[in-house]
Parts: sequence; structure tokens; C-alpha cells
Amino acid sequence: MFQRRLKYMFVITLALVLALAGVAAAQEPVTVEFWHSMTGARLEVLNKVVADFNALNPMMQIEPVLVGTYEECLTRFRAAYQAGQEPGIVQIYEVGTQTMHDSGMIIPAYQIPERLGETWDFGQYIRPIVQYYSKDGNLWSWPFASSTAMIYYNADHLRAAGLDPNKPPTTWEEMYEYGLKLIEAGVVKHALSFGWPDWMFENALALHDLEYANMGNGREGRPTAVTWPNEFTDELLELWAKMARDGVWIYGGAEYNANAAFQSGEITFLMQSTSSLDGILKTVGDSFEVRTTFLPRLANPKYARGNSLIGGNSLYVSNRVTDEELRVIFEFFKYLSRTDVAVYWHKNTGYFPATNAAVKALMDEGWFNQSPNHLTAFLQILSGKTDTHASAGMRMGPFAQAREWVRTALEKIANGEDPRAALEYSAEQINALLAEYNEFFE
Amino acid sequence: MNRFPNHRILPYALVMPSVAIIVIFLIIPFGQAVYLSFHRVSPFGALRNVGWRNYLEMFASPEYLFSFRNTMIFSALVIGVGLTLALCIALLTTQKIRGAAFYQIAFIWTYAMSPIIAGVMWSLIFDPSIGIMARLISSATGLSVNYYTDPVAAFLLVTAASVWIMLGYNICFFVAGLQNVPHELKEAAWIDGASTWQTFWVVTFPMLSPTTAFLVFVNTVYAFFQSFGMIDVVTQGGPNRSTEFLIYKIYRDGFGRMQEGQAAAQSVFLFVLIAIVGAIQIYTSTKKSVYDR
Repeated sequence: MFQRRLKYMFVITLALVLALAGVAAAQEPVTVEFWHSMTGARLEVLNKVVADFNALNPMMQIEPVLVGTYEECLTRFRAAYQAGQEPGIVQIYEVGTQTMHDSGMIIPAYQIPERLGETWDFGQYIRPIVQYYSKDGNLWSWPFASSTAMIYYNADHLRAAGLDPNKPPTTWEEMYEYGLKLIEAGVVKHALSFGWPDWMFENALALHDLEYANMGNGREGRPTAVTWPNEFTDELLELWAKMARDGVWIYGGAEYNANAAFQSGEITFLMQSTSSLDGILKTVGDSFEVRTTFLPRLANPKYARGNSLIGGNSLYVSNRVTDEELRVIFEFFKYLSRTDVAVYWHKNTGYFPATNAAVKALMDEGWFNQSPNHLTAFLQILSGKTDTHASAGMRMGPFAQAREWVRTALEKIANGEDPRAALEYSAEQINALLAEYNEFFE
Repeated sequence: MNRFPNHRILPYALVMPSVAIIVIFLIIPFGQAVYLSFHRVSPFGALRNVGWRNYLEMFASPEYLFSFRNTMIFSALVIGVGLTLALCIALLTTQKIRGAAFYQIAFIWTYAMSPIIAGVMWSLIFDPSIGIMARLISSATGLSVNYYTDPVAAFLLVTAASVWIMLGYNICFFVAGLQNVPHELKEAAWIDGASTWQTFWVVTFPMLSPTTAFLVFVNTVYAFFQSFGMIDVVTQGGPNRSTEFLIYKIYRDGFGRMQEGQAAAQSVFLFVLIAIVGAIQIYTSTKKSVYDR
């Protein structure tokens, strides 16, 4: 009796499986994998965008896969490509730009419409993003989640220390002075911390229109050496060292480690990517007033004005995708550039609205009045210089390693070592890595 | 000689799965690592033969020697401090005291926690801006300890967390070992007039030596390999590479810094190193340990 029932169940299950397989075979949606590194608050937003796209056309499906940090994503893509297991779309951070260009694994973004016999206006993306990811005037990766760095500050702390919250520091000297006052007033133990400390160093150079590496900041050829330590870095890092000694600046670790200190009101100023904006606003809630402003400069008037750097990531497409897959990818990219989608993405993550149409839509609906913090970084980068190699951002192969060496130098400086010597040592290591990278092209 | 008469193929068929797994997952990757260690890998996967350069540069690299030195100190501390502490606690909890079972369980449970979770816990407790311990230390001594920048603080934090996570496991085995020490031997020692201290050194400790030898080996493996998860969560090898131990350096060089060739050379060297250390340990411990009762 029991055995018979089992047999029936087996037959029914088999029939169901076959029926489902038949349904699947009849429709055959084209699915493209999309590897990304969007964690925290950004993960939900990305999944929502992809789910909405998938709902539009059941025959075109994007499958998002979170593969770890930016660094891991780059390494894994490379390993997967060699094994023939790579996804159609991969999200790569700005650091991987040169590596991806040199990789021979991707279709440059500007060639995607061409291959499908279509056209696409790349002029619709905002200028600094296009400039950052272009090579010889053409976009090599699809603009997606771009950001820059800015200062987040706790306005309640400034009030408590008798400082004007409408006048946050604009120079590093003021930052130091404010920090000392905040500590003296007993508001905080430490005033300032950085997210992505290596990137803040890069930003400081670009903000003063100074190149990071030779060969036109790596934009005219593969660089062979970094430009620092120099007069500017001496001046800047002496100040940082002083701030560390007096407890104004506390080194808060790499990436997003320092956010927790800001969100819990332990520090007053946080220099961090705009992409943390919505996460910070949500976490802080009503516990204090979060405000944002431009990155600080050195007061010394001899340094020119440059711009802050584009950070975040863009999307690359494997050069082994079929035309059917490329069609899906192109549709997805077009969907990401749709005004309503770009607006949604910006509002919920803090990343830039990538297209001009999205910026206009946001302005028309009064979004920037309603949430001025969402405008800060954007204004900063749009009002800065965009026509020099220094302000467009550097490009180099062993960029991830260079960042690690800069971080090492900053850790040493924060721990009281001599800034010049610390930076000198890191510069030597980076130059050796550059030479090693260039050997591959001999 | 045929040890299994009438079964000529069966024994081989039975060991086949294990052999296949060993070949596929251990031997072949190892061969690839050796091959890779003589090459440099470009960011797009092209190989270039560089002979012994990876090995030569490895031994000349101050970063590698620094990592080597730190790994040695780290394992010495994990084994030395960890086992001493574990043995003391095990001795205390095996005394005839009220609630001995409770104490034993209370000390052992740390092992049930994954190193990742323990790492997150320790890093939050000692976080320079939001951690409770960092705050207590600074209000008690006026010193601000920041393991994001202070190499010594980071090293000690990782070491302490590792000792702590291994403590439960070590205590567990010591308790079992202590309970196996025949009581009549200790009684005989007491009757002969030995003090508690002497009894411990002359009777208990030698009788425990198989357990100790085993734990030294397990803790060495932890210090060299399994500490990875803790490092990755707490310090990512920093600051200033002070916690970038050999195994973590291989991972960073191979995956983060995209220097597969150099990483392969390091892993081959680490293999040789561990093989030698393991052989010495097993040789001496089997010779010195008292196994017979």
C-alpha cells in the first residue's frame, strides 16, 4: 500500500519536473549574470532596480550576484575569465580602470551599440564621469555608480562647542582649529576621521590640481613613477601629523570603518564618499543634524584649484558574450540610464545622478531643496576644474597596491612617524610596482 | 604478497574515491602552485617565466621577512600563552569544587564560536572610537589605543583574540587528559612525601604529554593557517602589515595585489616549512610522550 503510494508520488513528481522543463524550454529567457559589490543599504536598492528591469521583459533577465568587496570582484572576474566562467556584466571600482583597459577581456562600452547596429548618445552623461572613464575620447565602461568625497559633519557638535554650523571649515588649517576647539569644549575626544584614507590623499592632490603620477597622471601613457613626496605633500602631511598628535584626526581604518564613529556621535567630521549619504542619514535618523560640505583645501594660495575625484564604479562587459546576451546587457544599460531609474538610484544611495536628464528632473521636482545634502558633492565636482589630467583623475595598473602603500604611509604618520620618510618609502614601493607592471608590455 | 586473497581489484576500488579526492584537490593544485611559482602573471592572465626570481625576491623582501618574524612570534605566543593558560584553568576546574561542571562548560563554549564572529566581537570591543574597552583603557590610563594605526596594539589584539578563541578547545582536551591521569600514581607520590607542585611536575605533567603534544600541533596549525579568518575580520593584515602573517600575505599578494606568481612561491615555501616543523614536532612528541600506562 505504502509502496504504491510512493510510486504514484514518484510518477507525479517526474511529470511535474518534465512539464516545468518543457515550459522553460519553450520560453528560454536570456539570462546575464551581473557581478557587483554593493553592500549595506545599497544592496537592496540595486536588487530593486534589477528586479524592476526583469519584470519588464521576462525574456531578458539580469541575475545580480554579490561577489565581495571591489577588490575581490576585480580579482574574481579575472580568475573567472581565465576559467571561462565570467559573468556578462561586472562592476569594477575606479581603481581597476587601467587594468580593465589593458585586460583584453572586455568590450569597450562605446562599441556596444555599434556591434548591435544601434546608436547611443554618450553625451548625456555628466561630464566628469565621462572624462574619468574615457580613453581617447571614448567611454570604455558604462557609467553607473559614481561618487566623490565630501565632508559630513555633526552640526549639533559645532553648536555645542560655540561654533557656527553654517560655517564649517573650508581649509585644513580651519579644520585643525575647529578640531582643537571641539576637543577643548569637551564635545568629542577626536574631531575628524576618514573613510578610504588612501582616496582622501588622492583627492587632496587633485583638489589642488596636482598630478599623482607622471605621464600626464597616467593618461598619456603608462606611468613610471609617482610625483610625491613633494612640497605639497610635505605641507599637507605635516598638518595631518600635527592633527594626529593632538588627537584631532583619528585614523579610522580603511573603506567604511570610520562611519560607525560618526554615526554614533564620537567624531564631528567624517570625510567619506557620497555613496554613504543615505546609509548615514538612515542610521543617524533624528539623533543629530547631519550636514555636508566641500572637501578642505590648504590655505596656501600658491596651489591652483583642481577638482575632487570621481570614485565609485562603472560596468564592464565581457568580450565573450553572444549577441543575444549583449542585446540584454544593452537593454539593461539603457534602463539604468532612464531618468526615473537614475533618479531612484541617486535618491536612495547618494551616488550621482549620472545623466543630465536625471539632474534636471531632480532639480525640477525640488529634490535638492528638500535634501541639500544630496547636492553637496555634486556641486563640488561640477564646479571644479575638468580640463586637466590632475583633475580628471590618475590612471595606473597597480592602483590597488598603490592605495595599500599610501594607507601604510598614513598609518605610520597617524602613529607618529616622520611623514616625509613614510611617504618616501611608500613611493619607492609603488614605483617598483609600476616598473613591474610595465614589464608586461615590453 | 597478497594481503586480500580472492579480492584483486576490490581493495583498490575501495580506496579510489579517497585517492581521487586527494589527487584532484591536493596534488594537482600543488603542482600548479609549483609551476606558477616560477612565473609572473600579468593582470590579464599571461604567464612569463622568471626562473627563481620569485623565490630570490621573496627572501630579499623586507616585507616577507617582517611577515615571517611576526608569524613566528604570533605562533609562539598563541602556543605558549594559550596552552599555559588553558592548563591552569583546566587544573582549577578539575579540582573537587562546587559547580566544576559549570566552570568547565563556561570555559569551553568559546570554541563553539566561529573565529569570524569572535573577530567582529573583539574588534568592536576595542574599536578606538566606539569600543568599550578602548574607552575604559583611556579613562583608566589616559592612553588612547588605536589598533587601526598602532602596529603593536593590533598585533596584541589579534594574539589575545586568538588565544581566547582556542582556549575552550585547549581546556577541553586538558580536562579530558587530566581526568585520565591515574589517581593511584598521584596517591603514591603523596605517600612518598611529594608536594602538590612536585606531584604535578613529576606525575601529572608527564602523563599529560600526549595531550600537550597534540595540542601544540593543533595550535601551530591554528597560528599558521586558521588565524586567517580572524585577521581578515579584525585588521586585514594592517596597520603597517604588522598582522600580515604568512598565510594572510599569500592571500593578499595572490588575490588583492594580483601577484599570483609571488604568492605561489610563498605558498610552496610555507608548505616546506610546515612539513619540516610538523615532522620535527611529531618525531619529538612521539619520542618524548609517555603513552603507556
